[in-house]
Amino acid sequence: MSKKKLLIALGVLGSLGLVACGDNKEVAPNAQISGTSCSELSGDMGSGNDLKIISLSPTATEMVYAIGAGEQVIGVDNMSNYPEAAGGAESKLSGFEPNVEAIAGMEPDVVLISYDPGDLEVQLEGLGIDTWTGYAAMTLDESYTQLAELGALTGHESGAATVIECMKTAISAITETVQEMQADDDAASYYYELDDTYYSVTSNTFVGQLMSSLGLVSIADGVAEGNDYPQLNIETIVSSDPDYIFLADTICCAQTAETVAARPGWSEMTAVVENRIVELDDDIASRWGPRVVDLLTTVANAISSN
Amino acid sequence: MVTTAIFQRHWRLPAAMLVLLVAVVVGASIGPAGPPAWRVPLELINRLPLISFDSGVTSTEWNLIWQIRMPRVVLAGLVGAMLSTAGAAYQGVFRNPLIDPYLLGVAAGAGLGATIVFTVNRAGTSSWIVDPLPLTAFVGGLGAVALTYLVGTAFGANRSSATLVLAGVAVTSLATALQTFILQRNTDVVRQVYSWILGRLSSATWSDVRLVIPYVILSLGALLIHRRLLDVLRVGDDEAKALGVNVDRVRLIVVLAATLGTAAVVAVSGLIGFVGIIVPHAVRLVAGASYRVVLPVSLVAGAAFLILADIPGRILDNPAETPIGVVTAFLGAPFFLLILRTRQVAE
Amino acid sequence: MTSLKIKSLSVKYGRHEAVRDFEENVRPGEWLCLIGPNGAGKSSVLRAIVGLAPHTGSVTIDDTPVKSRSVRRRAQLVAYVPQVPLLPDSMTVHEYVLLGRNPYVVGFSNESREDFMMVEEVLRRLDLVGYSRRELSSLSGGERQRVVIARALAQEAPLLLLDEPTSALDIGHQQQALELVDRMRREHGLTVVSAMHDLTLAGLYSDRLSLMHQGVVAASGPAESVLKAETLAEFYGVSATVHTDGDGTVVVIPKRSDTARGS
Repeated sequence: MSKKKLLIALGVLGSLGLVACGDNKEVAPNAQISGTSCSELSGDMGSGNDLKIISLSPTATEMVYAIGAGEQVIGVDNMSNYPEAAGGAESKLSGFEPNVEAIAGMEPDVVLISYDPGDLEVQLEGLGIDTWTGYAAMTLDESYTQLAELGALTGHESGAATVIECMKTAISAITETVQEMQADDDAASYYYELDDTYYSVTSNTFVGQLMSSLGLVSIADGVAEGNDYPQLNIETIVSSDPDYIFLADTICCAQTAETVAARPGWSEMTAVVENRIVELDDDIASRWGPRVVDLLTTVANAISSN
Repeated sequence: MVTTAIFQRHWRLPAAMLVLLVAVVVGASIGPAGPPAWRVPLELINRLPLISFDSGVTSTEWNLIWQIRMPRVVLAGLVGAMLSTAGAAYQGVFRNPLIDPYLLGVAAGAGLGATIVFTVNRAGTSSWIVDPLPLTAFVGGLGAVALTYLVGTAFGANRSSATLVLAGVAVTSLATALQTFILQRNTDVVRQVYSWILGRLSSATWSDVRLVIPYVILSLGALLIHRRLLDVLRVGDDEAKALGVNVDRVRLIVVLAATLGTAAVVAVSGLIGFVGIIVPHAVRLVAGASYRVVLPVSLVAGAAFLILADIPGRILDNPAETPIGVVTAFLGAPFFLLILRTRQVAE
Repeated sequence: MTSLKIKSLSVKYGRHEAVRDFEENVRPGEWLCLIGPNGAGKSSVLRAIVGLAPHTGSVTIDDTPVKSRSVRRRAQLVAYVPQVPLLPDSMTVHEYVLLGRNPYVVGFSNESREDFMMVEEVLRRLDLVGYSRRELSSLSGGERQRVVIARALAQEAPLLLLDEPTSALDIGHQQQALELVDRMRREHGLTVVSAMHDLTLAGLYSDRLSLMHQGVVAASGPAESVLKAETLAEFYGVSATVHTDGDGTVVVIPKRSDTARGS
């Protein structure tokens, strides 16, 4: 695993002395945090057991494959589009409306879900099938716990440890780099767009905490407590004039830097004028598996290039 | 009615217009961002031809008001006018005061149309010159009502309004079932579809306004010229026929016009409940039940109502939005109970 | 003055034949009264004349087939008062009577000055001026009936069809309503066809009676020739005495059966 243990951040070190987040456009934005991936590691991932797995949670699918238990997966839901080998694209299983009979027909030993849409767990239990639930993580530690649990479940303890170590190392490298760059700057603000009707996230969310670790503050933070995925008022978005706009709706809603710039009243926003609109992959941005590192890398690169 | 005396016959419409004007100015003035509210009316006067003074509103602030807040105010006005007038017209043509404009399947059809666009390939349509989403929703809404009419007239002995209403219920269920079926196979778009259905006045732009305005004008015009005939229809199909009204034709035209307008506004604003029922009823309480008054006054009052109802959504939970449908339902449900209490609902 | 000719009129609702080969010739200014037991087809004949019931055969007003007329033109010729008129609660008397002017309003315009004057006149003639702003729901049964007749008169149609105009009224208001129709028909030269249950009143006000039974005309003619004890027994299944007053009024008095009396 050490060989995979990261080229991260080396590239960015060269830019350390440069002023980061600000209006100095003349500063060459050549700083790059070289991406690392904790989702496709190889090496000693443990021997595994003969447990047959069905995953109805795209994040769990990513986790199981990352820790080397992919061969034990006999089926995934139709949203599990990563890694490609999982075959979610051809799947007819739905995680929202699971068909218990179809699942039982495939004779799994355990079914991985991210939430129970009904009485799935009880029904499966009646058929002698175990269920493992990995709720949407609220913190990175919860992600790590889920990876460790899956490792124990599948007999890939060492694989899970490798992935967790990879993530921790990569994330701290990224955050340290970014924090050093923006040491004496005020916290930059961002608007994180979940869809084209302006739903967003506060700093309390999983994504919001990742952003906080990079020194970013959500413009949605003023909302009433508990409303962590609020629909924002456009006037508020425009007048808050965030430093960054993150688009987590490039796939669902086909939003791009161009479509944002073309929105009425948005053209004068700093993030638009300075081209600080960051296009994210909807899926990566909404899951809490190993690809969190990819998300952070994208965001960190956007920050460091400005 | 005692209240009728307060409003002399020819005072009702001007009074409603005045309320609308106030609503537009208030709607343009209040928001979570921009200049202080009291400066906005001054700036609006400043923008009138031949008048020029310094209102203290900067061009950036004006930009925010004109580009973001005003389209929302105008669209709310158009949607409110359309839903209220269509609601009143549907109620007249079916002689049922509890009918709302979504009854014949417009909403379900539009929802189905939108769902199809979301599932087929939303990303692929981004490069199109015209966004197919409102168009498909519009066609879906019209298609559902056409099906309702077809079914209703095929099985109804003589196109009685009750058969049509039942057919509407059936078509609505069918469209909703189809929508659910499609959504189950495409769970990734569930949130977008529901977000669409919940209403999108909050993201209104001038291009939304331009998109609906021809349909709304056409529809409102067609409905308004039928207002006298709607009064004749109040005595029932048979007597209206005996009084020389071509009942089937009038009903077809009114339903068609109301549907056209409703489908258009649903396509850009999603579903906004209760407006089509509470506004005509409030108008009846104040101005009497004659459609000659109810129709034009509902148009104006409906516009004012929705513009005002949209304001709390903007500021209550700033920086978050409260969906307009929630506000109208919140206002509408108690009001509805009040109507039930104060008035026999049956004509 | 308008004449009404009906030839081989049949009304069918699905498979049920409500009227079969009905023939009638109503002279200008005449009042024809259709009588007969429930379900005899009286209402169907009236509804067919005004074009509300699906029918075969021909209905001719002043030698022109009704079918060749537009709905609007037909409404200028025939006014129809159904058995149970639908009176919208919150409509005022004035608004309601004004509906009678609908056949004269062109296109999408509004009623003309003449239309309003006509309504004023009808309200005056029927002593309804004081009621004009009242809502229909606030009227008594007799007042309602007068308002309905007022609307029919405002229609200025020479042919007036009345389906059970007195069924909901007490004896005093029955008389008032029929007196009113009779007065209007004389003043305006109306031709009247009515369906009625009260045989005595029917005989009293109409010029001629037509007794219908199971969709067919069983007897037709002046009251004294139609209202006979044996005819009533045959078609109504009733035992009644028929008595003729000194002024020629035919009075039908139902008899209580002997068994009932005995018990």
